[in-house]
Amino acid sequence: MKNIWSVWIFLLFLLSLILSTGALGADDADGMTLRIGTPNLVKSPSLVGDYYMGIFAHLSNPPLMRVAEDGTLEGQTAEMYEVSDDGKTWKFYIDDDLYWSDGTKVTPDDVKFTIEYYTANSVIGWLEDLLEEVSVTDDNAVVIELSEPYATLNQEFVTYNILPKHVWEDIDDPKEYTNKGEYVGCGPFYIKGTALEAGVLYFEKNPHWKGTQPNIDSVEVHMYSNMDVLSIALKRGDVDAYYKYGRGYPYANVRALEEDTFDFVVTDYTGLTFLGMNIRKEPLSDVSFREAISYAVDYDEIERIVALGYGGAANRGFVPRSMAYFKETEQLEYDSSNAKENLDDAGYVDSDGDGLREDLNGDDMELVLLIRSDDMDYQRIAELLKEYLGNVGIDVEIRMVERSTWFDLKDEYNYDMTVTGTTPWGMWMWANWGTGYFDSRRTGRGVLHTIDDPEFHALCDDIMSTTDEGQLEEYAHDVQDYYAENLPGIALYWGQYVTPYNDDWTGWSSDPIFGIYRLDTFLNVVKA
Amino acid sequence: MFIARKKAIRYVMAIFIIFSLNFAIPRAMPGDPVMNLLGEDVIVSESSVAEMRTKMGLDEPLYIQYLKYWSDIFHLDLGYSYHLHSEVSKVLFTKMKWTLLLVVPTIILGAVIGTPLGALAGWRRKDSNEKIMTMSFLFVYCTPPYFLSILFIYLFSFKIGWFPLKGFYTTGTPGDIVYHLFLPVTVMTLFAASRNYMIMRGSVIQEMQMLYATYARAKGLFGREILFRHIFKNASLPIITLVALDFGFIFSGALFVEIVFSMNGMGNLIYDAILARDYPVLQGSFLLITVMVVLANLLADILYGLLDPRVRWQG
Repeated sequence: MKNIWSVWIFLLFLLSLILSTGALGADDADGMTLRIGTPNLVKSPSLVGDYYMGIFAHLSNPPLMRVAEDGTLEGQTAEMYEVSDDGKTWKFYIDDDLYWSDGTKVTPDDVKFTIEYYTANSVIGWLEDLLEEVSVTDDNAVVIELSEPYATLNQEFVTYNILPKHVWEDIDDPKEYTNKGEYVGCGPFYIKGTALEAGVLYFEKNPHWKGTQPNIDSVEVHMYSNMDVLSIALKRGDVDAYYKYGRGYPYANVRALEEDTFDFVVTDYTGLTFLGMNIRKEPLSDVSFREAISYAVDYDEIERIVALGYGGAANRGFVPRSMAYFKETEQLEYDSSNAKENLDDAGYVDSDGDGLREDLNGDDMELVLLIRSDDMDYQRIAELLKEYLGNVGIDVEIRMVERSTWFDLKDEYNYDMTVTGTTPWGMWMWANWGTGYFDSRRTGRGVLHTIDDPEFHALCDDIMSTTDEGQLEEYAHDVQDYYAENLPGIALYWGQYVTPYNDDWTGWSSDPIFGIYRLDTFLNVVKA
Repeated sequence: MFIARKKAIRYVMAIFIIFSLNFAIPRAMPGDPVMNLLGEDVIVSESSVAEMRTKMGLDEPLYIQYLKYWSDIFHLDLGYSYHLHSEVSKVLFTKMKWTLLLVVPTIILGAVIGTPLGALAGWRRKDSNEKIMTMSFLFVYCTPPYFLSILFIYLFSFKIGWFPLKGFYTTGTPGDIVYHLFLPVTVMTLFAASRNYMIMRGSVIQEMQMLYATYARAKGLFGREILFRHIFKNASLPIITLVALDFGFIFSGALFVEIVFSMNGMGNLIYDAILARDYPVLQGSFLLITVMVVLANLLADILYGLLDPRVRWQG
């Protein structure tokens, strides 16, 4: 009996020792620190090579351009820009008041170096064939000469972080360069270090920053590989706000935070969840069939169940309201009688009376609905779609595969329909307005590249070759009309970007692409 | 000598086959490693994809890749990960250090706690206290690791606030590391201990039926003496196999705990490599696990021989 008590006393002593030493270590932060919790995991401390590190580095190495709160473009490292009428010559005027964190002044040479360096090292691989010359002018500007018009170049420069020439010129391959320590930056904060084993990216105030002085001394980005634990971290106060690129806080978790001391930044979300059609394969190649499917889906129910009220039914024009030059196309409508009529008229009838329709050759038809296993929302939507299509006599097999297999199958066009999503930036890429997801001339991980239609290709080319705002608006409307008429993808709902933050903090701002992760947030947030 | 040579040949053959499978299995999975290098919202031309494929050596015919794979193994070169922007050996070394800190205490504590308690439970299986303990261990044994980890985090980190929620450390001091490891190690130890407990309990119950146990009692030995002097040694043979296997899978066995506690160890590394089809990391990790499993089996063989004279005599 005595022995058992000794063991318990020893264990209690050990536990208190651990707790006290741990607590001693955890309490040594200096100054005011903003802690952001994110499920976006940095896998390697490579500013150029790691996808999420690149996004977080927008704070330390701000790109030339940025997205305003209303979704329009405005200058950042470049104060302003000009473009020639033919869309081939771009001039970016660099902010004269920027300094690197090591005290060196930011010059147009840094920007010229960054563009040439990224192009030569396949970071901006698509620019390689277009770029003729980058030069520096006396008026603190960089001039980019292109061989062909590229009207969305300013938009592309929203994502590429600017690098200090004097640091990076000796590094051969920027994508493979890693550094756990400091990265010299010119934003209000610079990267002080990356501790992957602790799951933290540390930013310190740039001592040479001349702009609006931030109210905080440092920023920490805390990475969590489990969403449930991240929610606990928010509630416990380990982190002050949540951030996930391209996706807000899970709608299902919002209610749990509403009861606590949290407020929410709610912004219209430029990305969306959609039903992609493999229009290269029968029967989805038949626009009447796609039309029928569009009537078979109960959009309100999907929005209610999946978006939990944080969204709204979408239009046939696919592009959400938050994008520039949005056109109010016809709203998607649930009408199963209409869907059945459309299918009957197009020849997809149930001739053998088994309750399921046959294809135009009279053969049994079972559509493969391909979904990724890493998104619970897609799984819920797939189940609902199976039910809706079953109601109009279309048999659906849900094929759930993990991410890499999904990439393979969709690239091989080995599916009929797929539930997938766009990121906000993805809606902007290529010729804007979601064209990057459909144009068959490009490939990529998340893109479907299903549209071969020369009319659509010409439209994309036209968009990329005009810098005339009026003309651009016209093309944008044409793209939305094209989507509405041909339905290569059906937006299942337009959602909202919900970002919770501890209500001790004020001064948040948000844009439709990067959400709260923007310079204005870090310059203005303040703790009460 | 003949038997030792036979065993050596068996191990070499096993290593050859498993190494070849290490090469083949990642490539047999659907998915393109090049595509996985790109972000979700990145578009590239076909020529850029082809260029990346060449850079990664994936444009070569499979047999050339296979020969190169063996050549690299003989040169102790595990290759380069374009996903992690680092040499695979460096990545493995970094992750291994942390995973060892997480897993070694677990295996040792799991064996030290689970084995004797399981032996006692088998010996006194009708005792009501032992029945409660068996039910408790059975409960842990049947609980999904993910659920138990979340439950522990909820109770001890969130509700009581004793422990941190993630990572191997905050400041990096030894005390801070122990503080971060305490909860995940506890969860994993519970699993290891419950498994060892159940196996040992069953094994002791079986051994108790043997004649030598009855003879030990007949010659006048007391209960615990019979258990720990005679039965324990024989009953612990399956535990040796399990612990040896634990050491074999030491670098890959903590995936759920690593995910819940956001720990960047070997489990997460292998999981990410599978999702990203990062062939060099997969090959390097599997190679390491293969070597560990073979060594652990070798060790188990030796220990079996030491503990059980029948194995020794049969060679």
